[in-house]
Amino acid sequence: MSFRVARLVPFVAGLLLGVGPAVADTGEARDGKVVYDRWCVTCHGAQGNGQGEAAQYMSTKPRDYRQGTFKWRTTPSGSLPLDSDLEHTLLNGIYGTYMPSWGFLGERSREDVIAYIKSFSPRFATEKTQDPISIPPDPGYSDESVTRGTGVYQKYNCSQCHGAGGRGDGPSAHDLKDDWGNEIVPYDLTKGHVKCGDTPTDIYRVFMTGLSGTPMPAFSDSMSPADAWDLVHFIESLSPRYVKNVAGTAANSTARVNP
Amino acid sequence: MNNRASATQRARQSLCLGAGLVAAGIAGSLAALPAFADYEVVTVTNGGTIDGVVSLSGAVPAEAPITTTKNQDYCGSSIANPTYMVDSSGGMANVIVYLKDVTKGKAPSGEPLKLVNEHCMFSPRAQGAMVGEKITISSDDPILHNTHPQSAETNATIYNIALPFKGFSVTKPLPANPELIKVKCDAHEWMHAWIMEIGNPYYTTTDSAGHFTLKDVPPGNYTLQVWHEAAGEKSEPVVVTAGKATKMKITLAAK
Repeated sequence: MSFRVARLVPFVAGLLLGVGPAVADTGEARDGKVVYDRWCVTCHGAQGNGQGEAAQYMSTKPRDYRQGTFKWRTTPSGSLPLDSDLEHTLLNGIYGTYMPSWGFLGERSREDVIAYIKSFSPRFATEKTQDPISIPPDPGYSDESVTRGTGVYQKYNCSQCHGAGGRGDGPSAHDLKDDWGNEIVPYDLTKGHVKCGDTPTDIYRVFMTGLSGTPMPAFSDSMSPADAWDLVHFIESLSPRYVKNVAGTAANSTARVNP
Repeated sequence: MNNRASATQRARQSLCLGAGLVAAGIAGSLAALPAFADYEVVTVTNGGTIDGVVSLSGAVPAEAPITTTKNQDYCGSSIANPTYMVDSSGGMANVIVYLKDVTKGKAPSGEPLKLVNEHCMFSPRAQGAMVGEKITISSDDPILHNTHPQSAETNATIYNIALPFKGFSVTKPLPANPELIKVKCDAHEWMHAWIMEIGNPYYTTTDSAGHFTLKDVPPGNYTLQVWHEAAGEKSEPVVVTAGKATKMKITLAAK
């Protein structure tokens, strides 16, 4: 089979399957565009560039989908998110920002809009998704673990950005920028909420995978799971608002949905 | 959900392969295929050498030293500006030198690249790499660094790895694209390094005298390309003869 024919075959197959010439016309993405144009476009923009009409009024800017860069993932630093990761963000919203929970849309509409959102970046068509990082079960919140976690926070120099007391006021806190050149501040961990979900597993995941597109790096290469759980418990000790799981949890627990 | 989504993805991949060549946006994504695929490793027995110097013409721009704004107890209050490293005879360091569009030749070294965080700077400042090559990132500093490679063109994050303490090291693959990567440390915003991904192993970086050598080049006509973070790039034709050293003098102008 010649090179040219080899390239043509999947194209013709695509036509036979009823797939049109533009990505936005394929199955769920077409339906997702309807959802997107109604609910998402005002902030995220018709081009998916995060520059909708309302974006200028927001200090935490709406996601620009074109790079395939997402803060909240179960997958390693820099890699694409899984559909279930995007679903998690849609369901939970992002605490402290204008992004609400989209639980009322229903699962089908969320799936469709995820397909459409993915069509803004060519990466989803060309890159393989990576496996989520493995997260062992939470051994449970305890004073001993919090004490060890204090040492982990110091050993890993979290205070460089988040400050000695976790308030987001470390020496490197004041001139950080994201991939889009927007100023960005380290999170104040004493607020008692983490943006992308408050379960112990969510907190674990955030610092182990990092927040792609921001200065927050991934610690999964340098930190042991035991240290990571102690660090989660130390962070939880910074506010009475965190829901502490004294009994411990199984792996892959689902996050609490915002009320 | 997964089944539906993966069906979408398959359909999209089909479209990319089928219609990709006519759609500029989608064609861009095909560049993700490693250029290594276009390079054939052969035994080079009669290779020649390219031996040269890259110089900066005119006066060396006066760059203010870097004023450190954090960890001054370790980093010091200022660091010499590494942008133009030019010796007394004009030879310029940290220039990436490579041959363009080589389709066959020697094998890559197979050793991972190195990028060291030392004394609150990256070392080396600039280096070439095979497309998709592995890189070992390490820290010699007792403070938190993060190594954050991004596309030099779009700033899109490739990954962002914490180096929380002295002695930590990790080896990661570079992505198949982009071609030019800018590395930053967000914790110390003055820290930068450059990595250029090249489709063949005929690349090097100039030393402190601006000198470079490319060895085991199969005889033939080539284009020699040089790139510097501030002085820009330039290409020169070069003829390589079996068993001989071809001398090259390349001059870049300060910008």
